[in-house]
Amino acid sequence: MIIRRRGTRREEGARKRFIASRRNFMKGAGLAGFGAAAMSSGLLADINDGVRAEGEPIPVGGCVPLTGWAAADGLSFKSGLELACEEINMMGGILGRPLAPVFEDSKEQGADNIIPAMQRLLDRHEVHAIINGYNTGAVTAEYDTIADAGVPYIHHNTDIVHHETVGSDPELYFSNFMADPAEYWYGEGFMKFISDLNDTGKWEAPNRKVAIVTGSQNYSVVIANAMRDSAEKYGWEISLYETVVVPISEWGPTLQKIRNDPPAAIAITHWVPQDLAQFMMQFVPNPTPSLVYMQYGPLLAAFREIGKEATNGVLFATVVGALQDEIGQDYFQRFNSKFGESASPLTGSQPYDSCHYWAIASAMAGGTGAPGEFEQNEKVCDRIRRNIYRGVQGATAFVLPYQAARTYPTETRDASLGMPHQFLQIQNHLEQGKLIAPEPYETAAFQIPPWISG
Amino acid sequence: MFETGPNWRRDAAFGVVLIAVMIAIPFLGPSRYFIGQLTLFFIWATVVSQWNLVFGVAGIFSLAQMAIFAFGGFATGMMGLYLGISLWFALVLAGVGSILFSIIIGLACLRLRGPYVALLTLAIAQVMYLLIITDTACFYMEGVTCRNFTGGTRGLAKFGDFGFREMLGRREYLKGDYYLSLFLLVLATVFSFAIIRSPLGFAFRALRDNPEYGVSRGLNRFKYQLLVFAMSAFFTGLAGGVFAGHFRVIGANVLSLPLLLFLISMMVVGGLGRAWGPILGAALVMLADEGMKDFVEIRNMGYGALIVAIVVLLPQGAAGGLEQVWEWGRRQVLALWGGTGRLAARRGAAGEERRE
Repeated sequence: MIIRRRGTRREEGARKRFIASRRNFMKGAGLAGFGAAAMSSGLLADINDGVRAEGEPIPVGGCVPLTGWAAADGLSFKSGLELACEEINMMGGILGRPLAPVFEDSKEQGADNIIPAMQRLLDRHEVHAIINGYNTGAVTAEYDTIADAGVPYIHHNTDIVHHETVGSDPELYFSNFMADPAEYWYGEGFMKFISDLNDTGKWEAPNRKVAIVTGSQNYSVVIANAMRDSAEKYGWEISLYETVVVPISEWGPTLQKIRNDPPAAIAITHWVPQDLAQFMMQFVPNPTPSLVYMQYGPLLAAFREIGKEATNGVLFATVVGALQDEIGQDYFQRFNSKFGESASPLTGSQPYDSCHYWAIASAMAGGTGAPGEFEQNEKVCDRIRRNIYRGVQGATAFVLPYQAARTYPTETRDASLGMPHQFLQIQNHLEQGKLIAPEPYETAAFQIPPWISG
Repeated sequence: MFETGPNWRRDAAFGVVLIAVMIAIPFLGPSRYFIGQLTLFFIWATVVSQWNLVFGVAGIFSLAQMAIFAFGGFATGMMGLYLGISLWFALVLAGVGSILFSIIIGLACLRLRGPYVALLTLAIAQVMYLLIITDTACFYMEGVTCRNFTGGTRGLAKFGDFGFREMLGRREYLKGDYYLSLFLLVLATVFSFAIIRSPLGFAFRALRDNPEYGVSRGLNRFKYQLLVFAMSAFFTGLAGGVFAGHFRVIGANVLSLPLLLFLISMMVVGGLGRAWGPILGAALVMLADEGMKDFVEIRNMGYGALIVAIVVLLPQGAAGGLEQVWEWGRRQVLALWGGTGRLAARRGAAGEERRE
């Protein structure tokens, strides 16, 4: 039996109208293709027991950069949350209460923008949860704002500082969740990935050397350091650890060092696409027999458009993003049909998935909690901690005590218990990268880069 | 020593009423968001009130104010983090350090004039920004992550706060930061008024409006400009420290161009060189920002329209416009009383003061 809180209790009578079943709901909503993606969310429809979302709306907040340098991602986050709320409402909302997304602009980010924006969501809109993509520059200072209100705060900041802050006082920060693995895991994940390639015979490493080139941002440095620190564990040796001043277009000195001692793999943790494209254009005319891995930049079309053929064969990765499987493709279709072909479902998937599992957890807990309703919010957060959700990004399961999503396959060997650390390869610069790992999500096989295969 | 007169009494009365209202606000049960925004308003108003001394009163086209603000914030945070000293003590040291920092900047820049000062001071701020975001060296390790000396692109954190959480509890601690920043703004404003109405203020304005005449009367341009630079730095540095302690983090984004332009727009809207201008400008710009939060797509256009409207309709800023309205109203009242003779006498006494 589901216990419902004050304000969520459904009035019996004329206002109560049922939809027949989850199957009918999906059919009626034209979501036949919802398929497997609805398996977890279908649970919500079951809990809702056919009730329509006609009760008092539940405000759900998004603190996203709608202006400033990250506005493109911010608009995708906004779209992702809007789509999730719409779908949840079609399933009856949360125990009959529809979700009403509201947004505040975190502008250029940083604590002075993020904290007031989140406080405004809590005070003015009295949101029952804040579900974000990423914001940078607050160094978890906003966690105290959340701790004072107690509502679930689910973000994708990909920041190891989250572990330290929540781990330092799990009781105080009980409602702060990082819904993706920290950037640290890029480092060890990469070492494991090239080890697996070598061990499975998909690639034969000419030696055990790895050259690491990092940019100057913390994000790049944390990943580079994690690579360096985990190399030995997987039997690799760091032949070069180079920090370049960014932005950078002239890679000659770095390439000379690489050519003087050719490694098996080159890992560049700097992420700006145009800089990375320049590297490939200068590397390919006189290459070393090395795999080339780059951080984030190849995800963006600008990298392929600038580097053209020189980008074929480049490896890159993301610890969070929609998968290219059946569930992911369905989601891409829904997202693009609602927001247009130019919309970016890959980043929009972050708040999309998070909103779905927060809604399920809330329904299971008997309803959501407003700011200050600590007891109810504790119940919701407890459900978020205990549930495992299979969404468009793979499985989300939180590691305690720091409440960050577990990464697969580095942290767990079980694909159903972790968010896949996706490795992609550009095999044709006219197309997006192909997902080549991890199993069972890959959609293409790894190819030896053209500068090695000749 | 200081010029007094009817405007002085008016300003003092207005200031006392304003302070009383601000002191009372937290007792009226406002939201935490409102308290937080007012705290931020006090901090920005402190910065622009001091910037106004340099930019508006002394006429130095300096863009170094946010560099000084950042210095104060980072110095406070670093002393708290690395030396483990109380943030209160660190705050005072950071204020004093900001004076020295601004003197160094002044020595480098004030031999120049006009736009060259703006270019060089902006360059200094940008060099600071670059130094922070390119700080990748591992200063110390914390768990699996290395920490940079300045915090790097992530920002400097974990240096603590002013202790209001422990003192007032988690529900009320924002009020501690609120009153601290209000206190800072009051001190900075009193200081600013005192400077503007002192002989020093006249010297600054003389060098701004007619440097050749000022120099011919024995004023040393470089010395006076360096003096105003240093004096304005103390409260700016303190504001940086209060900002860091309030948010418990400080990062390179305080040196970003959008924030710099946001603060300049406060001075322009309020009225450059006017004592109340920066505070009024900060209030208007933050209110405009608040009002436009629901219209994100047109917010930047809204800012632009506001600034253009103020510049065109009120070339002396909102404070200048209010001043004119005040004078007009006073004349009407006195005319009604038939006191035109007294009005003329008062005009004579207050004539110089209206120029400020």
